[in-house]
Amino acid sequence: MAAEADQKVVVHVRSTGDAPILKQSKFKISGRDKFLKVIEFLRRQLHQDTLFVYINSAFSPNPDELVIDLYNNFGIDGKLVVNYALSAAWG
Amino acid sequence: MAAAHDEAAAWSEEAARRVWGGAVPLQVHLHDADVTALPPPPPFLTLGPRIGYLPLLIPVIKAHFSNALPPGVDTVWFEYKGLPLKWYVPIGVLFDLLCADPERPWNLIVHFRGYPSEVLSPCEGEDSVKWSYMNSLKEATFIITGNSKSVMNMSQADQVALWEFVMKGNLDGYKNVSTRLKLGTFEEDGLVRTASTECQRQQSSDEPESPGSGKPCRVPVRLYVRGVQEDLEDIEDAMPVSDWENVSYINRPFEIRKVEGRSYITLEHALQTLLPEFFRSEPQHAEKLGSAAGDSDTTSSQEAEPAPASLREADIAKKAKVKLVRVQGIELGMDIPFLWVANNLKNPEYYLHICVYVGTRKQ
Repeated sequence: MAAEADQKVVVHVRSTGDAPILKQSKFKISGRDKFLKVIEFLRRQLHQDTLFVYINSAFSPNPDELVIDLYNNFGIDGKLVVNYALSAAWG
Repeated sequence: MAAAHDEAAAWSEEAARRVWGGAVPLQVHLHDADVTALPPPPPFLTLGPRIGYLPLLIPVIKAHFSNALPPGVDTVWFEYKGLPLKWYVPIGVLFDLLCADPERPWNLIVHFRGYPSEVLSPCEGEDSVKWSYMNSLKEATFIITGNSKSVMNMSQADQVALWEFVMKGNLDGYKNVSTRLKLGTFEEDGLVRTASTECQRQQSSDEPESPGSGKPCRVPVRLYVRGVQEDLEDIEDAMPVSDWENVSYINRPFEIRKVEGRSYITLEHALQTLLPEFFRSEPQHAEKLGSAAGDSDTTSSQEAEPAPASLREADIAKKAKVKLVRVQGIELGMDIPFLWVANNLKNPEYYLHICVYVGTRKQ
């Protein structure tokens, strides 16, 4: 059963390549937020203007996609796995 | 049997040709503030391919207006009735969504300055569009097969060729390269026909945490839900979209489940499943409102009890009525087989884009 939009989604962030590792690798975000919010959060944390952000080490979703949709479509074991890199990692 | 297959194949071929050949006649005006010549340049007329993207038209548009542009760095974006247009949305979808009454030519304003970065993500022309296309293709592939490997394993040369064919609207070239993705077609039994074994094998090897595979295949769908006045008699009189916040951008795949005794999945069934909040006739919010009002008994019951009058009014205010469903410029009947729509009216990144107009009381 798909999760409701107002549910909080657990995002698990993982660094790729030479991107710095964050102290806090898991955080919660509202399902109603856009993926842009995840990207902006990572940019702030890493002090990087350019950042490549992926789901499941596979693709970079559109920043306008809702976190809840990404979680329902691609979440694994109750969390959304987000990878970040300083340069393009998976094209 | 063979004849029926041939006929279906011929029909699909024609559908694909029409989707790929479809174009929106555009009349592009240069934004007043960007005009530095007298008299101001005439508007530019061109055809925007339905499956294409606005930034890909920038080179020809820029050439047309080159003598009238101010010196300096250009950051090009498009506007329709005050709304900056999202560049990653296919032109045909923008037209279907924003022009309730299909306006031909479609009058757009091009800006070369003042990029609205608070509304639009940055765009560096073709490179950005290619990036967006390839990632949407990988995302769609992930939905269909459970991973993005068939795209990632494509050679660089094939990826470049695939993109060039999409950009140039070359269907034959695209079909030739895209068969290497082994994505096949969606079937009523929940399997992808030409890639069914591949699909299952990859799923079971890549997802040890969910053994048994047998997962139903999923159709990638992007939905654009636009609210219009509920009492609207003519959809053509809808107020223009003034803000993207008024459009719900929803990405929900449709899971194909085999149901005994059902000959095919209708578009209506698919939309009811994808957008229960707009297509279900039962009140959606009664239960929540009931529990919020302190009536804890209703939370355990499966179906909400008939709500008190005040709540029912709130329901109606929130409940929306579907006014129009448009795919590739076509107003589709609700009985049409959904998988035919998915197989034949999808865009080249394997997403089916559906525009839905719903009547809402509060705009």
